[in-house]
Amino acid sequence: MRIKSLLVCASVLVSQMAMADALPQRWVSAGGAFSEWVVALGGEGKLVGVDSTSQHPRSLHSLPSVGYQRALAAEGILALKPDILVGSAEMGPPPVLAQLKAAGVRIELLSAKADVPSLQHNLTELGQLLGKPAEAQALMAGYQQRLEQQAAWVKQVQQHNRAPRVLLLLSHAGANLQAAGKDTLAAWMIDQAGGKNLTEHNGYKPVSNEAMLALDPQVIIFAGAKLEGDAAGAALLEQNPVLAQTSAGREGRVLVIDPTLLVGGLGPRVPDALNTLSKAFYPSAQVQTAERNR
Amino acid sequence: MTAIVRPRSMLITLGLLLVLVFWLSLALGPVSLPLGDTLLAGLRLLGMPVDGGDTQQAELILGQIRLPRSLLGIAVGSVLALSGVAMQGLFRNPLADPGLVGVSGGAALGAAVAIVGGSMLGGLPPAIEPYLLSVSAFVGGLIVTAVVYRFGRSDGQTNVATMLLAGVAMTAMAGAGVGLFTYLADDATLRTLTFWNLGSLNGASYPRLWPLLIVAVGVALWLPRRAAALNAMLLGESEARHLGFNVERIKLELVLCTALGVGAAVAAAGLIGFIGLVVPHLMRLLVGPDHRVLLPASLLAGASLLLLADLVARLLLAPAELPIGIVTALIGAPFFLYLLVRGRS
Repeated sequence: MRIKSLLVCASVLVSQMAMADALPQRWVSAGGAFSEWVVALGGEGKLVGVDSTSQHPRSLHSLPSVGYQRALAAEGILALKPDILVGSAEMGPPPVLAQLKAAGVRIELLSAKADVPSLQHNLTELGQLLGKPAEAQALMAGYQQRLEQQAAWVKQVQQHNRAPRVLLLLSHAGANLQAAGKDTLAAWMIDQAGGKNLTEHNGYKPVSNEAMLALDPQVIIFAGAKLEGDAAGAALLEQNPVLAQTSAGREGRVLVIDPTLLVGGLGPRVPDALNTLSKAFYPSAQVQTAERNR
Repeated sequence: MTAIVRPRSMLITLGLLLVLVFWLSLALGPVSLPLGDTLLAGLRLLGMPVDGGDTQQAELILGQIRLPRSLLGIAVGSVLALSGVAMQGLFRNPLADPGLVGVSGGAALGAAVAIVGGSMLGGLPPAIEPYLLSVSAFVGGLIVTAVVYRFGRSDGQTNVATMLLAGVAMTAMAGAGVGLFTYLADDATLRTLTFWNLGSLNGASYPRLWPLLIVAVGVALWLPRRAAALNAMLLGESEARHLGFNVERIKLELVLCTALGVGAAVAAAGLIGFIGLVVPHLMRLLVGPDHRVLLPASLLAGASLLLLADLVARLLLAPAELPIGIVTALIGAPFFLYLLVRGRS
């Protein structure tokens, strides 16, 4: 790990020396996944500000926050003297972007869509702007490979197992639970991990206790907890006793994931999360593949 | 209530305060500009050929960011405060605020329709899109106010009490409409809606500024001409009528000024609470109930207070910024409680 990071540092230095003039050196990133990719490409040192959705890795917390991506402030960002602002098309308001552009800040719009072509486009752009096209390409290839392996694994397992019925619930500070709808990144992840998302609505909507009983999920994924792991799952069941009556509650199949995974398109952590999810979706299949691999 | 200070000196003081706050609003911001650069850039923006260093960045920040923002703040603050005076005069109640006739609720509904509906419709012509929200909010405010006014009318008379209740009911209905759109909204539009409801002077630009400035100047010129009538209305409607004022016409004018003024302010900067309630109240304590002084005093104080709140909003969390509605409510609500307690003792 140490050697790897040393290598990364060395390559940062080399590439910076090579192209220091042309490339933007001071970055503001308005989008959680974009910030993660900039960090993954070794550009963390160039970030001078991030938006409120850039929560991961934790080291980003020490950077100045430019607030929510749709309510950016022109002068606040200019005070950071950035060369470039990266964000999605949701970034705004438009007059602020126009003011920033007039002040000579390069505005780079990336796609927040959760699909592979968008990610490919984003990574290519980021790689070029960071002066690391090769690294970006390698990252993308590895990512795609992992997604393909994941898909193949799911396909194979589903020949013998039925897809579990899954509900992803989001909750902040004990407010009512909201279920992830079919057009969300959460639904995409459930599908990729081999589960069957139960909801029919769009976006995140509150669901009633009775509706949750009627849906009877076999697996519940919980995002938004301060607690981690089993403790968060237990707390969820304790605060929402009705969930204990569902199949997932009876069998204790409550998974907890980091809610920052679900914001701003495909991030670097998604393959790992998919892996964890699908292992939990198919606990018996996991044993089989492990044996076969041996 | 008696005036504590002589009206004329009070108005001069408020005027000087506004000049000072306006200067602060131009001179301070997350980008720290040296005072010299700011002055130089200001003079150059005014078209004076001054010798000196390179002030390109200062000119940009001053001319394209801080100046439109400060002008927007002055227009919004003064219009909200003036409308507050008009409403408190109309309802003869110091607790009245411009939202009472439904204009804020209607504007919020209009904005929700534009934000959520616009994103559902998808591709709007790019020429319309930036203005859809403002126009929709403005029209929403006007329509709801017109309905409220219509409910108050019977036999050629406007019953203020009925209008007040109709305003409460229509605001609740508009709130239900906003709630429905909140439910229909996806995550991104939901956040836009939330932020809009808290108001902001962020992203002020000249195209968005001019319509409001025209309305604000109109209201600021018109309402003081009705100061005498508002004074007479303090005695009661029939008394005002006996004094020779066309009370029904005055009521219509007051409602119209409020609907146009608040509608335009909300369309440009979102919902900003408490200015319209607190500023007239505060000024009444300072200069007394005479509308000939109260109206200009509220205009000046409203503009100053909003500019100050905006300074806090953009400096406190820089480089991010706080929605200004939070700041005005944080200043306004405790002050209002203080007034309540004071009035009781």
